[in-house]
Amino acid sequence: MEIIKQLLRPKSITSYALFFLVFLLILSIFIPFISPYAEDLQGAVHFEIANQQPSISHWFGTDAAGRDMFTLTIGAAITSLKIALMVVFISVLVGTPFGLIAGTFGGWIDEIIMRVADGFLAFPPLVLPIMITAVLGPSLENVILGIAISWFPWYVRIARAQAVVVKNYDFVLVSKTLGASRLHIIIKHILPNSISPIVIQGSIDAGYAILISAGLSFIGLGAQPPEVEWGLLITQSRVQFLNYWWTITFPGLFIIFTVMCFNIIGDGLRDILNPKIVKD
Amino acid sequence: MFAVLVIIFFGSRYLPGDPIALWVGDHPTQEQIDNARQDLGLDQNMFRQFIEYSKKLLAGDMGISLRTHQPVKEELTRRFFATFELVTASIILAIIIGFPLGLYSATQKGKPIDKIIKGFAYLNISFPIFWLGMILQILFFGKLGWFPLQGRLSNYEDGGFETGIITLNSLLSGNWTVLADGLWHLALPSFTMALGVLGIIIRTTRSAMVDTMGEPYFNTFLSFGLSTEKTVYLTGYKNTLVSVTTVVGLSYGLLLGGTFLIESIFDWPGIGNYGVLSILTNDYPSIIGVTLLYASCFVLINFIIDIIYVLIDPRIRK
Repeated sequence: MEIIKQLLRPKSITSYALFFLVFLLILSIFIPFISPYAEDLQGAVHFEIANQQPSISHWFGTDAAGRDMFTLTIGAAITSLKIALMVVFISVLVGTPFGLIAGTFGGWIDEIIMRVADGFLAFPPLVLPIMITAVLGPSLENVILGIAISWFPWYVRIARAQAVVVKNYDFVLVSKTLGASRLHIIIKHILPNSISPIVIQGSIDAGYAILISAGLSFIGLGAQPPEVEWGLLITQSRVQFLNYWWTITFPGLFIIFTVMCFNIIGDGLRDILNPKIVKD
Repeated sequence: MFAVLVIIFFGSRYLPGDPIALWVGDHPTQEQIDNARQDLGLDQNMFRQFIEYSKKLLAGDMGISLRTHQPVKEELTRRFFATFELVTASIILAIIIGFPLGLYSATQKGKPIDKIIKGFAYLNISFPIFWLGMILQILFFGKLGWFPLQGRLSNYEDGGFETGIITLNSLLSGNWTVLADGLWHLALPSFTMALGVLGIIIRTTRSAMVDTMGEPYFNTFLSFGLSTEKTVYLTGYKNTLVSVTTVVGLSYGLLLGGTFLIESIFDWPGIGNYGVLSILTNDYPSIIGVTLLYASCFVLINFIIDIIYVLIDPRIRK
């Protein structure tokens, strides 16, 4: 609670970022009910009004199929936010336990878990998500899985690094001498003390998940029509974007703003949760 | 590397789609299908196939592309230098722009110009680079007409089909027209990719420099009457080199991944472009080849980075 209060303190940049994301989410949920062009979200086409410039009736213009870009761009926000949250949720859920186990137990268990994690980290960023999604088949769910699978090793590393330090704290050692089981120590002592770096990393990764999923949609591996997603919207205008700048500009700007908001919140959380880092 | 091979090999065998259908084309006879199955070794079980593939790989044979019917190794070799040229040009560009900006930003700490550079770097890390590439195409090709839309050369017959590193080759052979044309085509894609990693290079340089400026030795220089700028540019910058090298290695990996997007936008005949086409057609020998090549490049880069550490920081030599 204290953390949220800190994030929302008046006039701070984190409060604006959080406000933007919440506003975007609410708008995205309600756009099918308030937009006059709501049927465009279901794949309706109106070729008679194709490629119109931004105007009063079409704020962001229309694309090659005559769909209203404003409705599509806002409507796509919920997809990207869903991807962001799911990717982080899955990577944390898979990565953290392995990291905590590796750090607490040490020895050969640690060796095995960390070598497997290193195997995943040997790929250049973006290459592994592309390969995994290609293997699983192009779809939004598989993009989420693909990114989560390539990222969970980072959480293994973070959680392990914390566990290695925390397990030698005095209160943990005392608890151990009093006969606490390893499971008890991990859940009661090590997990609560490892959570803050994971939360920080998670909020920054949420932004990058949106970036990467947009990239995957762009090369045809992510969202499939008639789904709406920012990367897909951009790729759908690929053949003719040179003459109609608005068809790609607005989805791109929304990607930037959203990713930036997640970055700002991540940095804000780091300042709050880790007072040792002095902001320069 | 072995772990990498295992992950990719077994992963790629579960690709949706039928490799045989891709190999024989439309309307095959039953006989053709049976022959293809035998030729591709698909009649054997998965484990045997893996052993066969590993054996061939050790001998430098990566199999034959299902899509083009060419040996994967040849396809990759032909395209490798195009990608290498693009990625290397991008990283050099990013360092040339980013490193001085980071240092300058640190010396101007707290002033408006520092805030602008910092803000730019912050914005920059949130950019989708494929979008940026398209916006630059609209601007510099569509509106201004300064740079070509895509490709490596205006006239492919002139320089031969994309062999080697065009800019370097033409520079060495003194073929100035080809060099100029090559650079002209290289400008937009490499600038796009450079912008993709500029933000993190600026941020890293700046924060490393700010840390260094708090060191006692730095204050000693200042107390001798040197200006902050002079101290930074004469000696202080050296202390940022280790962190900058780390982030350059990381950026190189990011750029390798970025080739999948950028090469297809700029129709750059490199590995990334080939990789995307292979993925979209389920051409698994090529997919394995591309992934292995990128993973090896990344491992190699990290190795080179480790060597550079030793060269720039005597303390690591011990």
